[in-house]
Amino acid sequence: MLTTLLALLALTGPALWLLKPHRWRHAGWLAALSPAVVTGWLLAQLPRVGGGVVLREQFAWSEAFGLALDLNLDGLALLFGLVIAGIGTAIAVYAGYYFEKNRGLGYFYALLFLFMTSMMGLVWADNLLALFVFWEGTSIISYLLISFKLSDQNALEGARRALVVTGMGALGMLGGLVLLGQIGGTYSLSALLAQPPATFIQHPLFTPMLILILLGAFTKSAQFPFHFWLPGAMAAPTPASAYLHSATMVKAGVYLLARLHPAFAESELWFWALFIVGGVTMLLGAITALRHYDLKAILAYATVSQLGVLVMLLAFNHEVAAVAVVLGILAHALYKGPLFLVAGIIDHATGTRDIRRLAGLARAIPLLGLAAVLASLSMAGLIPTFGFLAKELLLETFYSLLAAGETVIGAAGLAAAALAGALFVAYSLILLWEPFFRRSAPGKEAHVHHAPSTPFVLPVLALTLMGAVIPFALGALEHDLFAAPAGAVLGAPVEVHLALWHGWTPAFLTSLLAIAVGVVLFLGRERVRAALAPAPKWLNGAGLFDRAIDGLYAIAGWSTRAVQGASLPTQVSVTLLAAVGFLLYSIFKHNFIGDLNLDWSAKATFYEVVLAALAVLAAFVIVRTHSRLSAIISLGMVGVVVTLIYVFFSAPDLALTQFLVEVLTLVLLVLVFYRIPHQEHHPLPKRISFRHLLISATVALWGFGMALLAAGEPLFATISDYFSLNVLAAHGGNIVNVILVDFRAVDTMGEISVMVVAALGGYALMRASRLQPLGRRNNTNTAKRTGKRPARKTRGAA
Amino acid sequence: MPELYLALLDRILTPILFVLAVVFLIVGHNEPGGGFIAGLVVATAFLMQILARGDDFVRKLIGIYLQPTMGAGLIIAIFSAVLSLPEGGFLYGVWWKIPLGGDFVLEIGSPTLFDIGVFLVVSAFVTSYLLELSRPATGKRR
Repeated sequence: MLTTLLALLALTGPALWLLKPHRWRHAGWLAALSPAVVTGWLLAQLPRVGGGVVLREQFAWSEAFGLALDLNLDGLALLFGLVIAGIGTAIAVYAGYYFEKNRGLGYFYALLFLFMTSMMGLVWADNLLALFVFWEGTSIISYLLISFKLSDQNALEGARRALVVTGMGALGMLGGLVLLGQIGGTYSLSALLAQPPATFIQHPLFTPMLILILLGAFTKSAQFPFHFWLPGAMAAPTPASAYLHSATMVKAGVYLLARLHPAFAESELWFWALFIVGGVTMLLGAITALRHYDLKAILAYATVSQLGVLVMLLAFNHEVAAVAVVLGILAHALYKGPLFLVAGIIDHATGTRDIRRLAGLARAIPLLGLAAVLASLSMAGLIPTFGFLAKELLLETFYSLLAAGETVIGAAGLAAAALAGALFVAYSLILLWEPFFRRSAPGKEAHVHHAPSTPFVLPVLALTLMGAVIPFALGALEHDLFAAPAGAVLGAPVEVHLALWHGWTPAFLTSLLAIAVGVVLFLGRERVRAALAPAPKWLNGAGLFDRAIDGLYAIAGWSTRAVQGASLPTQVSVTLLAAVGFLLYSIFKHNFIGDLNLDWSAKATFYEVVLAALAVLAAFVIVRTHSRLSAIISLGMVGVVVTLIYVFFSAPDLALTQFLVEVLTLVLLVLVFYRIPHQEHHPLPKRISFRHLLISATVALWGFGMALLAAGEPLFATISDYFSLNVLAAHGGNIVNVILVDFRAVDTMGEISVMVVAALGGYALMRASRLQPLGRRNNTNTAKRTGKRPARKTRGAA
Repeated sequence: MPELYLALLDRILTPILFVLAVVFLIVGHNEPGGGFIAGLVVATAFLMQILARGDDFVRKLIGIYLQPTMGAGLIIAIFSAVLSLPEGGFLYGVWWKIPLGGDFVLEIGSPTLFDIGVFLVVSAFVTSYLLELSRPATGKRR
């Protein structure tokens, strides 16, 4: 069933694209069908999975290779699945109205559902490598969604940054996952988690493994110092920001940490890394959010902050912390997602997201105001919202630490959490008061010129209402929805007893204090903004990142110039001599010469001698002739001789291929040389001629040696016999073709994929008017970004 | 004008090359040939046309189909690979026998389909490179 649902989600996107959804007014409801089905199915599993049953499923997609996709649905996977599918349903409806008649809607849906599939696969996967593949899938689709508006330069840069940062982290993580698989002896997550934690923690490779995995999780979940990509990702269409960059994808890192928590949580490194990075991210995000005026930027930094909270909570190996993580994930998805959607509707209705230009929207769009109030109060953590419950548990975690005698950590965490709580309150109130309730805006006020239709606001309202209802349905939900995932995070069964009202506990008092401080901050918000405004420019992560990337380009340019900068003969010499060197090294290392058994008894036949003489003659002509055309033709001559040799040794397929390739390359060469202006060739100095001769002779000897090696006794066991024995079983008479399309079809598949990529790359390369030196990269980029190719322009003008 | 001879050759050779490509593609599994070689033959045929009638002629004729053809080839190859999922796994060879009446039985299998995919990719790939390289370097057109 899990596989079927994944397939359903994956197929929905392309199917919608074909239906051209921008032509239909209410296409969103159709799009929402498949995620709604998934949500319904997951809800139906809630009692069973909540009761401790883990649904396992294996989809063997290549039994011959022993490859299978293992999916596991336990409490944590179910919780994330519900968030992904549930919010996805709302987003699908919303996007239909957000894009209105924009032709991009079909493309957006295709990406959205592919993302949903990847994300769902990520949280369901039981295999580390499958998890990695889905993980990369989400990164790539995030890149495509951020750069959705191709004409927007900021969007392209933000997308590139996001892809490089998360891609780099994911590469590190792949290393970490492989190490983890090696240490545990299996790549199955459930089997790994079944082993005692000491297996991993006491292993000598534990530290590098953990650092690599954390790198992946921290980059994905926008933790300090990698947080800068997330605000840059806000150039994506708002539904994508709400879904990927707030509710789901950025929580993939949190998911991975939560998943591995039972195995690693006892280690010191785990605790300090998560505690410090999470804590810094939490405070940094919350403070930076107050500096911004763009609705989406504020929400982006608030998201960074909340992700910091979740990461910090995962540092603790504690029951309350585990429950707090689970509540935090769900509460955040249910208030931050809708708030992004509200920002999108405001943008849609007024044409701006700058809160200095917004005022009184609650009166203009009352339904939207209601949704915003419910979501903001939850973000602020005011009683009796879902956010309040989550914050209460966060504070409770630190109080239980204090009670357990961890004074320093408990106090530091408590202070940080309380401060962050106050900041949360401050920007929640700003977000609510300034655009929705104040009478007039300080800037040039934007008016609602395009009021949203009711079904546009409906999905937003539905999500916020769901968040508002949950605190009053705790009794029904706490066991199935909260206890099972918390148990998965902790690695042991958890008893959850939640209530909105605990009495006057220290946590509640701290919460009240934080709210009071937050209200004070809100009232003095102009002063706070003024105080935060002069932050140093260089402290900007995106700027530092760009500088690092420029440095990388500089290094690449330097190394290219150093190794291959000079003339063509030098480049060719370097390449060929490197090949010779590597072969010599391996020959001496393995003592091939000594093991080689050569049979010199065969005599050369007459036609072989003739062919060899022809080839030598042609080669001589290539070197001596002054005409390019005759050089190229002589080169073709050598090729034809080789073809004939294949024919004599009865390899018709090889001969045919060689001949065709020879013809095509010959003409290609003529075409290429046709483009290069004619040059006078001066005779080379003796010294250089001699050097070239020496290199040529070395390479010739190398080729001869290779031929000898190939002709000698095989050094490795041959599989030709297998091929000739089985060729009839494979319904074919031509062994070459059967190898290509049956025995080694996977190789061929790879090759034709590479061909298509090479064709696209070559096409783009040859379309560029001319290659520009690296220093002028920026100019090229602007030319590309404006969407007009310079080559086209000049041609049109001519 | 040497192109006159080429145009004559083109009239005679190009259809033969296309037929030859189809033959190679069909017999490829048992006799010399196959999708790769057939693709190269098709590229040679277009090369003939480029030389005889100019690159513009060929570009107008097939230019817009090249990249879709590559994509289609890749999709066909992937389809043939997925086709065998229920039979034994990814890229597993599956064969069907279709009696054609009399003693003739047509054997068609997923490798055949795969070969067709290879053929489409190779022919479009090489032809697109030929077309791009034969585009005049300067802004002027011949």
